[in-house]
Amino acid sequence: MSIPELLVNDGFISWQDREKINDLSAKTGQSFIKIALSFGYISRKNYDRSLSNAGYVFREIRELAYDPEVIAKTELKFADQHLALPLRIENGKVITVMADPSNQLFIDFIRFTYDCEPEIILASDLDVTWLSHKLAGDKYVKSAVFELLNRDPASSAFITFSTGQLAFLFILLGLVTIGLVVSFKNTSIIINILISTFFLVAILFKLFLALTGSRFELHQAVTREDLRELKEDELPIYTILLPVYKEDKLIKKLIWNLQALDYPREKLDIKLLIEEDDDKTLNAVRNLDFPAIFEVVVVPFHMPKTKPKACNYGLHFARGKYLTIYDAEDIPDTDQLKKVVSMFGKLPSNYICIQSALNYFNRNENFLTRMFTLEYSYWFDYMLPGLDTLDIPIPLGGTSNHFKLDSLVELGAWDPFNVTEDADLGLRAYAKGYKIAVVNSTTYEEANNEPINWIRQRSRWIKGYMQTYLVHMRNPVALWRKLGWKGFLGFNFFIGATPLTFLVYPFLLAIFISYLVFDLSTIRTLFPDWILFMSIFNLMVGNILMIYINMMAVFKRRYYELILFSIANPVYWLMHSISAFKGLYQLIVKPFYWEKTEHGLSKVNSPTNIVK
Amino acid sequence: MRNQSKYLLLITILLAIYYLVCGIYLNHLGYFSQEAMFYVEKSKIVVDGLGNRLKVMGLTAPIIPFYTSFLFSFSKYTAMIAPIIASSLCTAILFFMIGSALLKRAKDDFYLLVLLIIFLFHPGILYAACSGKSIALVLVFFFMFFFNLLKFYRSNTTFHVSIASISLVLLIFCDYKFIWLTLFFIPLVLSITVKSLNLGEQESIFRLFISFNNPSLRRKLINKTFALYIILFVLPLACIICYKLLNLTHAQDLNYFSESPYATWTVLADKLSFDQLSTSTVYQIPETSILISARILLFCPLILVAIYMFRNSTYQILTLLTPFAFVEFLHIKYEKVFLVNEYYMIFLVLALLCIFYKAQTIKNQTLLKTIVGLLTLVQLYTGYIFLKNSSITEERNFITVLLNRTPDTHQDQNRELADYINHLPDGSHVLVDDAIAFPIVTFSKDIRKLTLPYQGAYLSAIESPDKYDDYVLLATPKNEVTGFTQLNDKYVPVVKKANSALKLHRVYETDDWILYKVFD
Repeated sequence: MSIPELLVNDGFISWQDREKINDLSAKTGQSFIKIALSFGYISRKNYDRSLSNAGYVFREIRELAYDPEVIAKTELKFADQHLALPLRIENGKVITVMADPSNQLFIDFIRFTYDCEPEIILASDLDVTWLSHKLAGDKYVKSAVFELLNRDPASSAFITFSTGQLAFLFILLGLVTIGLVVSFKNTSIIINILISTFFLVAILFKLFLALTGSRFELHQAVTREDLRELKEDELPIYTILLPVYKEDKLIKKLIWNLQALDYPREKLDIKLLIEEDDDKTLNAVRNLDFPAIFEVVVVPFHMPKTKPKACNYGLHFARGKYLTIYDAEDIPDTDQLKKVVSMFGKLPSNYICIQSALNYFNRNENFLTRMFTLEYSYWFDYMLPGLDTLDIPIPLGGTSNHFKLDSLVELGAWDPFNVTEDADLGLRAYAKGYKIAVVNSTTYEEANNEPINWIRQRSRWIKGYMQTYLVHMRNPVALWRKLGWKGFLGFNFFIGATPLTFLVYPFLLAIFISYLVFDLSTIRTLFPDWILFMSIFNLMVGNILMIYINMMAVFKRRYYELILFSIANPVYWLMHSISAFKGLYQLIVKPFYWEKTEHGLSKVNSPTNIVK
Repeated sequence: MRNQSKYLLLITILLAIYYLVCGIYLNHLGYFSQEAMFYVEKSKIVVDGLGNRLKVMGLTAPIIPFYTSFLFSFSKYTAMIAPIIASSLCTAILFFMIGSALLKRAKDDFYLLVLLIIFLFHPGILYAACSGKSIALVLVFFFMFFFNLLKFYRSNTTFHVSIASISLVLLIFCDYKFIWLTLFFIPLVLSITVKSLNLGEQESIFRLFISFNNPSLRRKLINKTFALYIILFVLPLACIICYKLLNLTHAQDLNYFSESPYATWTVLADKLSFDQLSTSTVYQIPETSILISARILLFCPLILVAIYMFRNSTYQILTLLTPFAFVEFLHIKYEKVFLVNEYYMIFLVLALLCIFYKAQTIKNQTLLKTIVGLLTLVQLYTGYIFLKNSSITEERNFITVLLNRTPDTHQDQNRELADYINHLPDGSHVLVDDAIAFPIVTFSKDIRKLTLPYQGAYLSAIESPDKYDDYVLLATPKNEVTGFTQLNDKYVPVVKKANSALKLHRVYETDDWILYKVFD
């Protein structure tokens, strides 16, 4: 009796479902058992139970001997589709691990390829997947790491500082030092002028952007009518990549969130990307006692161990027309995928990415989550729509950015050496003449509620911004030509200015406090009237405006209880500064190190975000 | 639409030129407003002065009109007429803003014609445009504030309420008295919130009743009201607090910007009003509380049409009534000060805004146009009457010079004195207190010749003028504001007592001023 028949007989799969699985199998080329397990037709526990009751024995296969030449004859994608892998030839038989020992197609493949009979070892699908990716995934993981570097080295963050940049930095440093030695006062005044002007322009620019963005708060990029016009049969296959690392606590939550998505199940291609050494998550998936609607892809070990590398690897197995990334704890609006499909249909073809807004479900948990929510509301509801309206490159958010898959591949996908690969990708897209839009849909994430964890996460973001800035400013003239003046200035004020602002902020604050506390009237000599005037304006008006914009953003979101927390922003910015210095240190000593953010720390119960 | 915008822009440019020509012409006839002269003087200090310019730069009030005027002080030729350029352009911008709002809503050339007639001939508008005062800027921000509030009522977007709030900040920094406007928005905000709740009941009082009796709605109402207060008022309040702190740190006085004659011209203007009201034997029209609103209606009958148009909505009517309450309050709070033309003009702008905003909803357009047309003509006349009979000398002068085109001699003596100082030998220094002598500083060509209070040496120069200066300018007892300066007729005996060897010799004298030469 074949395994499908066994499962039907045991009552774990209905006849109707079997028909559906067979249809899907014929369309996708995946085996019956692969579809049954990754489209939520049967849970792994029931699958194990059914086979064990029938007398099958699952074996541990990770330590089994293998012959690379034997493995090389089997394409990983084929092995992955059938959850089977030939390991070696022994006693005239091909030792083959299989999750479905009755898979006739794969058995025939073994016979024809190796001209021997297979000796089948039954193993759990997750172990087969783990082993096949580990043993046969070398080609793909190398491509995931080096593809962009080989194809477009100028866009890769593999080299952090180019020779020109190092020369520029040291010459600048030298000139400033000489200037300070020769004429301390005048050099300090010049530095003051530059910093004050920079802050003034940055403040006005951000206010302008926020106001531009807020103008469109009633604008619905995709309306309910647009969604009604979509026909389910015509919806394309949608790939969702879920890169996780040691997120065992979140797996159950993840399944509920994915099941809430309003999109036909058979048109979803959800890939849970698990690192090779991440047994915690793999075991959490193994222990699920209800059906999962994702497919596990194991990312073989290769440095750098970063999220973009995992995504690049997963991209090789993606089947969709569109692709998006979610984090394990994300709760997207249920109609988000449909909105994106509808919006891509309306937009010109040069729009290759759509960014959704991000916000937090645990906003009222503590001070940090409130501040984070204020920041995100301002960033995704005002700044990004503002940038979008003014046609300035959008630094993509870490998740919920939806791509056209073929365009993503054409761009060279994510840079595995960049720790804010999303922001970098947004810029590369603009530089190639592509556009990014913003959709009126939100993904709710878990705000970091623990200060050290927050600093770790933020230091990675700020380091990534520095990396991205350095990569794209290797040739400023070329960048100017590619992005145009608006894009170039926007890039400098967004990606470049953000880390710089946070690095300079504590020094300026210290000068101000020293001036107040110690009455250092000599400081006045370094601040001529006009500069002092501008500095006071920046300090007063800048802080007030930035706080006010934050208030506006949460007012728009109707998070009225958070409004007064905006006043605490100057303290929150100090935490950014700590992260910025940590990021700068890491940029120099370990640029590709991925500071892992702990998720699942929130004690807030997160209901699924069903759109009414 | 695009063509109409082009025409509007063209008309605006022509209007700006018209105002500029009028303003410069009046200026050549000798008409100077106190406010304009004050800005010119402070701009001179900022550009050419030697001393603590930061204080002048940051604490001269009202700050936005001062900076707007300062923008045009870029050359010697424009320095004297910078406030006039600023007010002309601002009035033209106001026309453009109202015109644009009009074109988007009431798509009818008749209303544009009405607007143009008002901006061409209304004496109040001409006064705002050609006097170099801050009225035009006040009107611009007042218009923006109310326009965005009306838009917020319709769209309920954060954008409009925040722009309204920013406009309010700018308005307050154009005329600090508008801070009192916030007082009357306190009940209004509650009314707006009640309206914005998603309830089936339409009548405001019942909506309020339902909201208060349902715990969930009550919480929502309180949260939203509080949030709306914050969004609307936190910016003005924070800015005022910061500005007051700056005044405290740089001038040792929280209210320096509003109470010191070195920081603002209004101190002297209010003093003159006060003197006139307290001492004048001539019976003035009593600006008693009840009559102020009546006077407003007389000045701007179009506001009645505006109120009629918004009659169906309680909170919108309340919005329109807020400026009435505000002006009444000003009259009570500053009882011995005349209400300047600016506080009547805001009603003209408000009336135009409301009529253009709602005109298309009125079915009987012919009747509406007839009423608007007639009232516009009435307003031109009342505008003239109000200025002609104004209790404020400056306003009366303006209309007299404008209509008679005869030279205004009010500043002649000051100008002659300044000419005398200009012709003093190079290297001479004159001790001047610009708290009241700012018109003379305005007409002076070289500000470095003068020792003024913003300079560190000023106090020492008062103590021993012989060591720092060659001349001292003193106010005569006839000078109406002589009490605001130390350099008046009482100064001579005091300084002689301190230094008996000091000799002072009168070299030039006008009704208000005496210039002494200092000898050791």
